[in-house]
Amino acid sequence: MTGPPPVRVEKALALMPELEALAPLRALLVSIARPDEATVWSSSGPYLTLGKRGVHPDELRRRMPQAFHRITEHLQVLFKGYVEALEGQQRGDAPGVVAALLRAGRLEEDVGRHTQARTWYEVALGVAEALQDRRPEVEALRALGYVCLALGEHAASARHFQRSLALAEAEFDQAGATAASEGLGEVAVAQGQWGGAQAWYSRGLRLAEAASDPPRVGRLERQLGVLARKQRDLAAAGDLLRRARERFEAAGLADEMARVLNEQGQLDAQLGRYTAASAAYREALAWAQRAPRDSGLELSIRLNLAELDLEAGRLLEAEAELRRAEQAAIAGNGIRRLAYIYTLMGRLRGAQGDETGFVFFEQAIELVRALPGSVVTEAQVYLAYGLFRSRLGQQDEARAYLERARELFDSLGEAVERERVDEELRALSA
Amino acid sequence: MAHSLPSAPPSKEALALLRILVVAGEGGSAGGLLQNLRQWADDGRLTIDTAPDLPRAVRQLAGQRWDVVLAVLGEHPDDDLAWWVDTLRGATGSPRLIAVAPAPSMGLVLRAEKAGVLDLLSLPLRREDLVRALERVRSVAGETAVPLPVVQPHAVGPYALVGQSAAMLDVYKLLARVAGSSATVLIQGESGTGKEVVARAIHVNGPHASGAFVAVNCAAIPENLLESELFGHEKGAFTGAVTRKIGRFEQAGNGTLFLDEIADMSLALQAKILRAVQEREIERVGGGETIPVDVRLIAATNRDLKDAIKQGRFREDLYYRLAVVTIRLPTLVERGDDLVLLTAYYVRHFAERYGKKIHAISDRVLELLRAHAWVGNVRELRNVIERAVIVTTDDTLRADHLPDELRGEETTLADRPQGGLLTLAEAEARHIARVLSHTNGQIGAAAEILGIHRNTLTRKMKEYGL
Repeated sequence: MTGPPPVRVEKALALMPELEALAPLRALLVSIARPDEATVWSSSGPYLTLGKRGVHPDELRRRMPQAFHRITEHLQVLFKGYVEALEGQQRGDAPGVVAALLRAGRLEEDVGRHTQARTWYEVALGVAEALQDRRPEVEALRALGYVCLALGEHAASARHFQRSLALAEAEFDQAGATAASEGLGEVAVAQGQWGGAQAWYSRGLRLAEAASDPPRVGRLERQLGVLARKQRDLAAAGDLLRRARERFEAAGLADEMARVLNEQGQLDAQLGRYTAASAAYREALAWAQRAPRDSGLELSIRLNLAELDLEAGRLLEAEAELRRAEQAAIAGNGIRRLAYIYTLMGRLRGAQGDETGFVFFEQAIELVRALPGSVVTEAQVYLAYGLFRSRLGQQDEARAYLERARELFDSLGEAVERERVDEELRALSA
Repeated sequence: MAHSLPSAPPSKEALALLRILVVAGEGGSAGGLLQNLRQWADDGRLTIDTAPDLPRAVRQLAGQRWDVVLAVLGEHPDDDLAWWVDTLRGATGSPRLIAVAPAPSMGLVLRAEKAGVLDLLSLPLRREDLVRALERVRSVAGETAVPLPVVQPHAVGPYALVGQSAAMLDVYKLLARVAGSSATVLIQGESGTGKEVVARAIHVNGPHASGAFVAVNCAAIPENLLESELFGHEKGAFTGAVTRKIGRFEQAGNGTLFLDEIADMSLALQAKILRAVQEREIERVGGGETIPVDVRLIAATNRDLKDAIKQGRFREDLYYRLAVVTIRLPTLVERGDDLVLLTAYYVRHFAERYGKKIHAISDRVLELLRAHAWVGNVRELRNVIERAVIVTTDDTLRADHLPDELRGEETTLADRPQGGLLTLAEAEARHIARVLSHTNGQIGAAAEILGIHRNTLTRKMKEYGL
């Protein structure tokens, strides 16, 4: 190939200051990074990470207009959202103002700008609090609950959902109360408080059943199924997931079918039924293809498939699946997922007794540190890194990484994973 | 009237019953397609079942074995094609894909070929096109088994040197001469030519054989961590230095340190390596103590170091320190019939690992392997054979066990209705696609190679849907 060689991403990013204004440029740079063919087959190929991919300045320059177009488009709809809020204000339609502000927040969330979304929701909440009709407030609180959850702010998230639930119940807003219960369940899951999560989901399920809302009933059954699986009540999990699946298939909800089959795959894997698990994941992928584009869902299924291969010792297939997922995550600038992919790649190399696999954990740590609200992910990377070192007999380093993981889980008030870290630390000391 | 398939006199394999899963809704042009297929299947040589969409097809694929999936691509044919290729990767019995699309672009045809799709046919479907595609599936049954030749590898620990080509015999001779000394060796060769195996062979046959063989891949390790990886660090030397670490130089004490992909090292680190080679001592990062090291150094690269020196990317003094003896490894293509020996060696090796009994490979597999470009050399071959062995269920490795990319190369000109000749547009589109692949999609570089303006290239890419 003619022309100068590409610049490595690790070097390219080192030249870019951490400025918010440059975030879209950073995302563009990451999305166009690719390995050259020679690297793929070189001895460093198996250890290829984002940092070792290459970018051509020429290509970045050529793609810049597309990035500008996307930014302009995003700003246009945001500004339009604000103008709509202003028009609502002008005609005295305060619920309309709240709805417009919430829409703007959702647009920010769609492009991963959670902190900015929270600011929109807070303004919306301020307007909603002054209204006699409490439903806009219920909705604004729910939006805040979810965005705080995404930012890893569990206590704030729980507070918003609690308030949303109290208001919804006072207003006899059954849909609002169901949604708030579901949100509280999700916060409890994020904190590893499974008993609490079960109580909230069950409450949500009763409300959804009373309101004859089949999609929400199905969703809550799926979530209860997940919890049952985590608590090792596998028969109950199977029953709940089957019911949810039947409900979604009858309603033709492709995205929900993909989600429930993704869970079914995990259940089958836990039961050691690898063939069934693989079939469930593959069908989940097929449903995801029919559903509105959700790269996060597709990646989640692919990663479960890779983890299944990893657990079943099918390392070649696991690696191929992880590399496909890596490409999808890079193209979609899915940095959090990418960090998880590299954690799995590190585990895979650990399973092969390959010490150089540490490069994947190092890359994962570097990626998550640059993300806001990624403490859980960082803790999980350290946990896996510690186990990797332990497997290679490097006990001192293993202990140091596990202790770091414990510190991070502690800072979140996370119970279950922290207990797991303690177990591993005890095993190291034994 | 029902048509029989095909009209030519049938051979034994041509009579084989094919199970086809047709994935198409009942409405629109797909409805007509299904009707035609059912009529064409009346001769008893096709079993046709249908699925309305991808998810239901996946269910059917999980439950039964199919020879062919005939899928109608939707409004986003590229996406659909990618999904189908991905879906069939995990399906029982590796069914072949025939994709059907209304007026497929040249680009789509090329991408389908590259992905290993058996054929991409136009809607409305013509019977003769389908017959030709199905004949290619049936021809797989006509592959002849060739017994695996006997191979005598030179064992290098868990690895092996395999090959009898003149190019490899030269390597063996040089290897025998240098192994007995402690001289620093530079191994040059394209990716996947076996540089580490040769380095190990030098180590096990040399005076440092009782010590450890420590390999460091300089290109794999992040630049900011490479120094501590090589020289070690003291606790607290930098953020993340949670414990004292013994570096690879020390680990290789009295043994061999193999620095792979050495051209990827920064100039600053090259200076430190030079010092370690010259002074035979190192310092850990964050430590003041000088530690003597006695290691044999073997370096390897897939780059032209002299060119790197000219560009100021590699230190000349380090080059001369490393290249006391230089061994150049041949590419797989330069090794001629070693390809067959290596194939046989890896088939046996992986058959043993995965508990399979494979005694032969088909003539078609050999043909495909010989025709492949092998950019990744022996490493790529090893990878291809491992994957093939994993999916094989009988005692012969056949073409349909090979990965999609290699099967994609099965498309032969003889299959073309015009007697194998391409139209000018087809030839142009294929050549542009090839050059673009060579330049990793870089339009500027591709335009330079093609000798046309980049705007012309962009227009042609649009025209051909590339």
